[in-house]
Amino acid sequence: MELVDLPVPEPKANEAVVKLAASGVNFIDVYQREGRYKVPLPFTPGQEGAGTVMAVGADVTGVKKGDRVAWSGPLGGYAEFAAIPADKLVPVPSGVSDQQAAAAMLQGMTAHYLSHDTYPLKRGQTALVHAAAGGVGLLLVQMAHNIGTRVIATVSTEAKAKLAREAGADEVILYTQSDFEVETKRLTGGKGVDVVYDSVGKTTFEKGLNVLRPRGMMALFGGSSGPVPPFDLIVLSQKGSLFVTRPTLLHYTATREELMSRSGAVFDMMAAGKLKLRIEHTYPLAEAQRAHRDLEGRKTTGKLLLIP
Amino acid sequence: MKAIRISRTGGPEVMELVDVAVPQTKPNEVLIKVNIAGVNSIDAQFRDGRLRTPLPFVPGQEGAGVVTAVGPHVKLFKVGDRVAWSGTLGSYAEYVAAPEDHVVPLPVYITDEQATAAMMHGLTAHYLANDAHKLKSGETALIHAAAGGVGLLLVQMAHAIGARVIGTASSDAKSQLAREAGADEVIVFTRHDFESEVKRLTDGKGVHVVYDGVGKDTFEKNLNVMRARGMLVLYGMSSGPVPPVDPAKLSEKGSLYMARTTLAHFTATRDELLTRTGTLFKMIDEGKLKLRIAKTYPLADAIQAHRDMETRTLAGKLLLIP
Repeated sequence: MELVDLPVPEPKANEAVVKLAASGVNFIDVYQREGRYKVPLPFTPGQEGAGTVMAVGADVTGVKKGDRVAWSGPLGGYAEFAAIPADKLVPVPSGVSDQQAAAAMLQGMTAHYLSHDTYPLKRGQTALVHAAAGGVGLLLVQMAHNIGTRVIATVSTEAKAKLAREAGADEVILYTQSDFEVETKRLTGGKGVDVVYDSVGKTTFEKGLNVLRPRGMMALFGGSSGPVPPFDLIVLSQKGSLFVTRPTLLHYTATREELMSRSGAVFDMMAAGKLKLRIEHTYPLAEAQRAHRDLEGRKTTGKLLLIP
Repeated sequence: MKAIRISRTGGPEVMELVDVAVPQTKPNEVLIKVNIAGVNSIDAQFRDGRLRTPLPFVPGQEGAGVVTAVGPHVKLFKVGDRVAWSGTLGSYAEYVAAPEDHVVPLPVYITDEQATAAMMHGLTAHYLANDAHKLKSGETALIHAAAGGVGLLLVQMAHAIGARVIGTASSDAKSQLAREAGADEVIVFTRHDFESEVKRLTDGKGVHVVYDGVGKDTFEKNLNVMRARGMLVLYGMSSGPVPPVDPAKLSEKGSLYMARTTLAHFTATRDELLTRTGTLFKMIDEGKLKLRIAKTYPLADAIQAHRDMETRTLAGKLLLIP
């Protein structure tokens, strides 16, 4: 990742140019940088940001200069200005700061769709959340807790365990010390959990299937330890007629209506104090490399932001 | 007693009619005189070794008959009760010993034929439409083998729920049966590519759910005909097992859901089993679920029954009479 000087973009007819106040750093940025997910070169990474509209294209009616907006999806966030399709911009309410908005878009909407749509959680159910002190993890634990679901969290350190508990996890497993499969079975009296939310992938997938109750669901939404290799479907029936899904945010914000509704729900929770975002790590834009190293080294908790 | 026994796995010819001892019941089992044994594609999967069980064994998992003896711990049945069962190997025989948990009492208005046709196929169709993916009015469902044992029942249930049903079948005659059962559209897959047809029939949008007991032959294309966040329920593998699946495909094709289900997990408690059979028997009694018996064979003709099942010449349930 190189810091360069480029002209300020001009908006196309359907775009708005936003002056960024903050840009969110996500694991997907790492996968794109690595080439695991392909993007035509050269490109400016960053799929998430918040700021103020500076200019709008000829066909844009939904936003105007001066509006506070946020987005998730279109590339170009690691910059001072970004040209974003206007239909991807959502308004940021006054009770939410630019940094909070940038921090909340991708991870907040991800936690929201996972717990409200992919597997709509109910009071009394039990969910296993991996990487519970990560960006999505801490938000997902809070949302599950607010719904009244019992949360079993997995983390790698005591410090992260503390954060997961503060977010509402009922039980925390240090997977570096215990086998999460054995522990989860013990914690559920051998019954298993209703749903596993797994962003870790390769090292956790198969054991996750073992801790699901019959007809439970594996929601695999990331692969921070590596992609899950192809698996034999018969295993799903043997382990209890299990359901598997591999969701992405794109399909849960496919229409403007859904995007507005989901971002609105997340901002509402934040403004009401029901969803707390940890923004511990802010970096100047020029230090994007350090941000990635810290993220990949699993040293960080909560959200990382780049400030242009 | 007469029974079909399999001593080595293979084609239909490995089934031998033999004379063996009547089975001993375990303390929690009932001994049933088999009036009718149902033939299911899962029987062929045990016969040819795709599914494993110790040899030799008596195939068949379903039937209807009368209780002739009860083990000392049996609480739910007495001698003389009319019953049906599913999920217990040993049914291609004059007598079968079954755990009482797997056995359901038959109401007087249900015949042995109806009960046998309703057990595995009916229970499967019921859990598919109500639990694997709870079908809603207005949704579009793709049902493969729509004129098959499970298919004809699932089509009727989906239609009754108000779903739009697209079926696939191997011939015009089967297509007609599926339509009569309530399918809105039927694709004869031996003539048309079901992927392009489903896309055409749904204006490119795809279906909400695919119910598939076929497996290998249809898997890849199934992924292409679903709407975003749609569900693929794989409940069988009559064409063979699906090769290992890359989860990334599920997200690429629209954040799809997939399940690989077996009946056992949807009839895991006696309560659940009785609730489902209760619903099925009621629907049959009210004329809301029509059962199609394709052919009845003497037990000694089990080989022919399997050949007919595998060549897909007949549509509907095949029954064996010991």
